[in-house]
Amino acid sequence: MSQSMNPVEAEKEYKARNKYKAKRGLRYFFRKCKEQKELLFMSVPFLIWLFIFKYIPLGGWVMAFQDFKPAKGFFEQEWAGLDNFRFLFGNERFFEIMRNTLAMSIINLVLGFVTAIALAILLNELRNIAFKRIVQTISYMPHFLSWVVVAGLVSTALAMEDGIVNTILLHLGIIDSPIMWLGVAHYFWGIIGASDVWKSVGWNSIIYLAAMTMINQEQYEAAEIDGAKRIQRILYITLPGIKPVFVILLIMNIGYILESGFEAQYLLMNSMNMDYAENLDIYVLRYGISMADFSLATAAGMFKTIISFIFLFGANKIAEKLGEARLF
Amino acid sequence: MGVIRKIVGKRRGVDDLIFDTINVTFMLLLVVVMLYPMLNTLAISLNEATDTVRGGLHILPRSFTTYNYAHVFNEAQIIQAGIISVLRTVVGTGLGVFASAMVAYTISRPHFFLKKFITLAFVLTMYMNAGLIPTYLLNRELGLIGSFWVYIIPGLIGVFNLIVIRSFIEGLPETIFESARMDGAGEFVQFFRIALPLAVPVIATVSLFVAVGQWNQWFDVFIYNSSIPELSTLQYELMKVLQSTNTSGGSAADSFSRSLGGQVEVVTPQSIRAAMTVVVSIPIIMVYPFLQKYFVKGLTLGGVKG
Amino acid sequence: MNGKKGFLSILLVAVLLMITACVGEEEDTAADSDDGVTYHYFIGGSGRDVNTNETVIGKIFEEETGVNFQVEHLVGDLNERIGVMLAGGTYPDVVVAAGTEDQLVDAGAFIPLNDLLEEHGQNILEMYGEYLDRFTYPDGNIYYIPFGAEINEYQPMANIDQGAFWIRKGVLKEYGFPELTTIEEYFDLIKRYADEYPEIDGMRTIPFTGIGHDQGFFRISNAPNHLAGFPNDGGVMVDMETHEATVYGDSEYAKRYLRMLNELNAEGYLDQEMFVMNDDDYLAKLSSGSVLGFFDYGWAFADARNALEEAGEPDNEFMALPIVMDEGIKDQYIDPPAFVQNRGTGITVNAENPERIVQYWDNMIKEENQRLIMWGIEGEHYEVDDNGRFYRTQEQIDLVRPQKFQEEFGMSVFSWDWPRINGTFSDGNAIEPRRQPEVASMEYRESDHEYLEAYGIETFSELFSLPDERPWYPAWSANVAPGSAVDIFSEESDQVLKRHYPRIVLSDPADFEAEWEDFVEAYRSLNVEEYEAFFTRTVEERINGNWQFE
Repeated sequence: MSQSMNPVEAEKEYKARNKYKAKRGLRYFFRKCKEQKELLFMSVPFLIWLFIFKYIPLGGWVMAFQDFKPAKGFFEQEWAGLDNFRFLFGNERFFEIMRNTLAMSIINLVLGFVTAIALAILLNELRNIAFKRIVQTISYMPHFLSWVVVAGLVSTALAMEDGIVNTILLHLGIIDSPIMWLGVAHYFWGIIGASDVWKSVGWNSIIYLAAMTMINQEQYEAAEIDGAKRIQRILYITLPGIKPVFVILLIMNIGYILESGFEAQYLLMNSMNMDYAENLDIYVLRYGISMADFSLATAAGMFKTIISFIFLFGANKIAEKLGEARLF
Repeated sequence: MGVIRKIVGKRRGVDDLIFDTINVTFMLLLVVVMLYPMLNTLAISLNEATDTVRGGLHILPRSFTTYNYAHVFNEAQIIQAGIISVLRTVVGTGLGVFASAMVAYTISRPHFFLKKFITLAFVLTMYMNAGLIPTYLLNRELGLIGSFWVYIIPGLIGVFNLIVIRSFIEGLPETIFESARMDGAGEFVQFFRIALPLAVPVIATVSLFVAVGQWNQWFDVFIYNSSIPELSTLQYELMKVLQSTNTSGGSAADSFSRSLGGQVEVVTPQSIRAAMTVVVSIPIIMVYPFLQKYFVKGLTLGGVKG
Repeated sequence: MNGKKGFLSILLVAVLLMITACVGEEEDTAADSDDGVTYHYFIGGSGRDVNTNETVIGKIFEEETGVNFQVEHLVGDLNERIGVMLAGGTYPDVVVAAGTEDQLVDAGAFIPLNDLLEEHGQNILEMYGEYLDRFTYPDGNIYYIPFGAEINEYQPMANIDQGAFWIRKGVLKEYGFPELTTIEEYFDLIKRYADEYPEIDGMRTIPFTGIGHDQGFFRISNAPNHLAGFPNDGGVMVDMETHEATVYGDSEYAKRYLRMLNELNAEGYLDQEMFVMNDDDYLAKLSSGSVLGFFDYGWAFADARNALEEAGEPDNEFMALPIVMDEGIKDQYIDPPAFVQNRGTGITVNAENPERIVQYWDNMIKEENQRLIMWGIEGEHYEVDDNGRFYRTQEQIDLVRPQKFQEEFGMSVFSWDWPRINGTFSDGNAIEPRRQPEVASMEYRESDHEYLEAYGIETFSELFSLPDERPWYPAWSANVAPGSAVDIFSEESDQVLKRHYPRIVLSDPADFEAEWEDFVEAYRSLNVEEYEAFFTRTVEERINGNWQFE
């Protein structure tokens, strides 16, 4: 068969084969080091890089428990205990903020994955190569527009007078009077989700297109000879082909559960939809950065990390149970 | 309809024809929706700023001018900054993708005993943010501030990219590597001769991601090198132009003197932002087709398998 | 193996480029040739970066003092930039801290200027005269120099750039240039016009609008304060008799104003999008010519005014009116002379030979140099008439106006963020040309004269009352510590206003009271008392001449 062995199976098989070797301990470690010195040579320098640039600065997390003043060293700060966390969780709007954060994050996650995969599949089904290339190039152009520009366009499109959305809906007879889209709080999540898709669907589909190139073309040819329909080929060849990449990306993104975006919300939010717009990042900006309170921002960061880890390990475990590709 | 029929071309079955017709129609619609913002931005960038304020611009400028671009390019620094931008993009992408691919290869090897440890060590950093000040202090201790290298080294490997490359290499048939090993190939040889060439589609993709990230970056210039004009980048210079426009728009000197005939050229943040967007996105959009050929058409692995 | 080859060549090029990039990195910014020296001048606001000696004025100053400044403006977030400066302990030579002054002083980043001023800054001491106390810290030191010390006589602006109720000029013309005083008269006139002209140039008439997007909700919520006859003193109204500071967010004035908006809305005269629009949408609306009235600050919609002027339809433009809540209230829209004592420019510990910077400042604050910065060169950029009054000819106005000229000449860089004076020169001319009536009237067009004559005034600001004396003004320049209860109240009350005002205004008139109660409850649950007490105390101390207190 042409399709490769699933990496999970490969690893299982490898482990099984080497069961008798599985004696752990220092001796084992040194022997492995010697055996795999090439692999170590290729990875350890970057592991050191990782330690220096990503782990050492984490010492700065201590400021979450301080009343941090940048002018003083880390050891000269006043201690604040858990005050920063208390301020963070103690706010009466904290529940609302978490609700908004999670809702927008999940909406963006689901919409983002579904649309990107759908676009990649449809692009992959285009037979006219020139057309395919043009469409693909154009589809990711909005990615290069800053959120300021996109938010401006969204708000113009949603205007009551002459806004394209209201105009179309009125013409189609779906509504009888224009809707103030940005003035109705519970439309906000949907607006953010749709804007996000518009801006990033093309960009996000690139990776799936790359994944599709790894699918052996012979499979399609064989399927065609067997008389498989287009839909069947998509369902039984293309989708399984990109599944490992999809699963890995999904796990990684589930870890970002509290990253619901910032600029889009900040720019599209107004006094009428703020109850559904304010998320964790906006809250931190308001009480942390703009009040020069680095401690609060750090405390919020730590909170996010903890939640991320819970979701990340959970998702990875589930993937493992389901026999899918794992992140680690 | 004619256009669609032309793109769809000749098809064997009715099913295919229906599918392709719907697909192509959808794609044309998509093109319109996706092209509009760019064309709108282009129109704003080529329209007189005061006229733009009136709104209602679509894809054609109403009152044509190139003044917005003249204003953007007025900055003496812009050429030098452009060179630094290209440099950081090329160097950052080259080194970053190479390093990522190498580490990705090692953690894709099922027999590597540190596989899980290294993967986890990298992955966890995606969700931990030390914050601005500790990061700044570290880079200062390392002497990276005021140097070109602060654009390259601290962000050398993107974990997302690392994982993406890894999963592609994992997707390659293990048998290729096995047969290479039987021929006496070491890990370096397997990496350079098998993994890298076969992972070209993903390398191209990741290069695009890294390159765009490097090209658009301005925050590190702001934090580390903002007082060193020689190390400024295009994005940063354009941010400066935009910021200075924000004030002049409201500056009393400009807005209260009245124009008595005679065109006075005025810029607004909106029109400068549009010109800026066009200036920075065109080079990147032009690079795309060169990378695109690596992942629009699928590779046939059968041939390599041997 | 095409991919590999390509990759290797990219790598090779990369390495080569890096080597070239490394060369010529390290360059010392300070201490150049002989006597000439370049300092790094960081400004925590936006503007165009220059070397001062590349401007005409800066060149002259350099010849006089041998000092040049590499001016850098802020690009990203101020708190982040100052944060890393403080953490790293490396500062530019001069910092205009734009609100983070206290942090820099606390960190010991600014050097005390007292001795340097005594020795090298006699002109500065003289110009800032009575204001010196206001920015001398409780420890007796001066750490930074604020901008715009008012000397000689206060000179109001010729045109309104501050808050006002604006009205489409065509409405005034239509009804024979009536004099409007109260908000009721103002709304009545607008309603009358809107009834008669439901459409303007084919667009639906927008009788009354406004904007409160992002950080700008005060553009809606400050209106009641002005209607009550108070200038923009921050979040409080300061009683002229008792000097007590009270918030106006839930005052009777606010309630009455919101009720009027609520009624306007119920009758269909209010633009509902006023709480939703962003700035671009708002400016587009104003420039369309179909808006009849709104409350806003003049500087905030300058772009729309430019667009309207260029369109050449004078009747579509707007005129500022000093509207008050009731007959008998004296309007106080025009800001009293404001000396913002807690913002300024300071020299950091990193500067070598700081006396040279003080000497430079001392030179530029001289009257003749301030005249050069503000007015330019006599005969080239302004003329002097027989009475010694400065004015500009049409050619000079056109010459001086473009941004580009102001940048190249050095007017824009030196006009703020450096020691400077305000008010009038010793010969009675306004220090700022825009405050000189002769210049303003020269800039008026024919259509402007039509309105000026109809109302019997020389400049548009004459419709407004002159500011009363408020020796504490502006209360908003009080030293509010970041993260303090007062600071948090400002943030939270802004949120509450944003959340509740639209609900109150857009509610059914029958629900008005309930919505209002709801809001008052939320508002009063915040720490209002501490906020008011803080400002009452600030006002009190300032009246006693004490601008710096713990």
